Amino acid sequence: MTDAKYHTPEDQTLQGRVFRPSSTTELREAIEQAFDYRGDVALELTSGETVVGYVFNRDANGAVPALELFPKDLPGVRKIAYADVVSIAFTGEDTASGKSWEAWVAKKESQRRAESEQVAAAARARGHL
Amino acid sequence: MAVPLSQMFTVTKYVLTQKLKGVKRYPLVLMLEPLFRCNLACAGCGKIQYPDHVLDKRLTPEQCWAAAEECGAPIVSIPGGEPLIHPEMPEIVRGLIARKKYVYLCTNAILLERKLDEYTPSKYLTFSVHMDGLKEEHDRAVCRDGVYETAVRAIKAALKRGFRVTTNTTLFDDANPERVRAFFDEMMKLGVEGMMISPGYSYQKAPDQQHFLKRHRTRELFSKILGNRKPGWRFNQSPLFLEFLMGKREYQCTPWGNPTYNIFGWQRPCYLLQDGYARTFRELMEETDWERYGAGRNEKCADCMVHCGYEASAVEDTFSSWSGLSRTVKATLLPNAR
Repeated sequence: MTDAKYHTPEDQTLQGRVFRPSSTTELREAIEQAFDYRGDVALELTSGETVVGYVFNRDANGAVPALELFPKDLPGVRKIAYADVVSIAFTGEDTASGKSWEAWVAKKESQRRAESEQVAAAARARGHL
Repeated sequence: MAVPLSQMFTVTKYVLTQKLKGVKRYPLVLMLEPLFRCNLACAGCGKIQYPDHVLDKRLTPEQCWAAAEECGAPIVSIPGGEPLIHPEMPEIVRGLIARKKYVYLCTNAILLERKLDEYTPSKYLTFSVHMDGLKEEHDRAVCRDGVYETAVRAIKAALKRGFRVTTNTTLFDDANPERVRAFFDEMMKLGVEGMMISPGYSYQKAPDQQHFLKRHRTRELFSKILGNRKPGWRFNQSPLFLEFLMGKREYQCTPWGNPTYNIFGWQRPCYLLQDGYARTFRELMEETDWERYGAGRNEKCADCMVHCGYEASAVEDTFSSWSGLSRTVKATLLPNAR
């Protein structure tokens, strides 16, 4: 295993991390992380192939445990057996990082400070402050 | 309830038919998500956080119609993403209406006014406009200034052309009850057919993780908002669901009541949770372990009181017994009764 823990704290992202499971249990946990991740992942397969895409489904309890993925640069859906996965790299941007909210809040706070400063400056010009 | 009689009749007939057939789990509303792409990025939304190649995917009209037929629910709600971004949305809607489905086309209304020419007023079509409060609250919720005014103009334009219009409001723990009540007044003044309200769901992927409501706070908030209700307010929701929000009655979730179909397939178990996908509606209904979900059963459901799970519970209560029907009538006629 590259990382000791699979479950990333909520304030951290998996982006850039690589999991190389050494057991079936670790493999299942890593695939759960990939399923939960809101970015693309790169799967290294036993065949030597690397598949990049978004994991949108997984069936860990089926007759043949498998995940389903939208390949990044190809149409359609790719189904991959758990047993075929060697490693999982979280290569894509974590789109759930919350940047849009942070950016908007920062913008609004900046605007409010600017407005407040304008009002204060006008008051000083009138001799009220 | 602010719903045309024909729709009430259709839904009633449908539910009673399911009851007479002995169907234990039946869908009421199909949540049809033709795309995830949106032109906003709301703080409390966990629906659009995907890579671009996923956001670019669309359901085809044929897939949408097939899903509606497979599901069989009398109502189809089209949330998003922003449905009006979908280039084939008018065709999708026409096909659903041709199938006699009551369509709630959800929109943030940024594109609505300019898209109205593409749609024809019908008793089957309602524009459900996302409005989370008065200007300050709404623009903050959607993380963009000016959206409230745009939506108000679009609502006026749609109503003028004869379209059915409702509002859809999600509330979080920073909601001010008096401001929400003033918002209700404003929407009724605009002339919308009715309003829909719900607490926000605690999306793990939403940007803002600080303002989701806990159950007890939901009950407090909605008691203040809905207590001493004004006669002029019309809600496009079961009155028992509103009482549930106020803490006057308890329900367990009915996740199969609003099944979700999107580019991934049929979503387990509901519109909000993403615990995997089934290829067919039948697989969704028959092979989902429903007992694993709901308050007290799954930690992700602990604080959920959202309409897509509990509205169906309220409807089920109404049609399960004469006392349920009586409760609904009483709640409709005497909403402020203790």
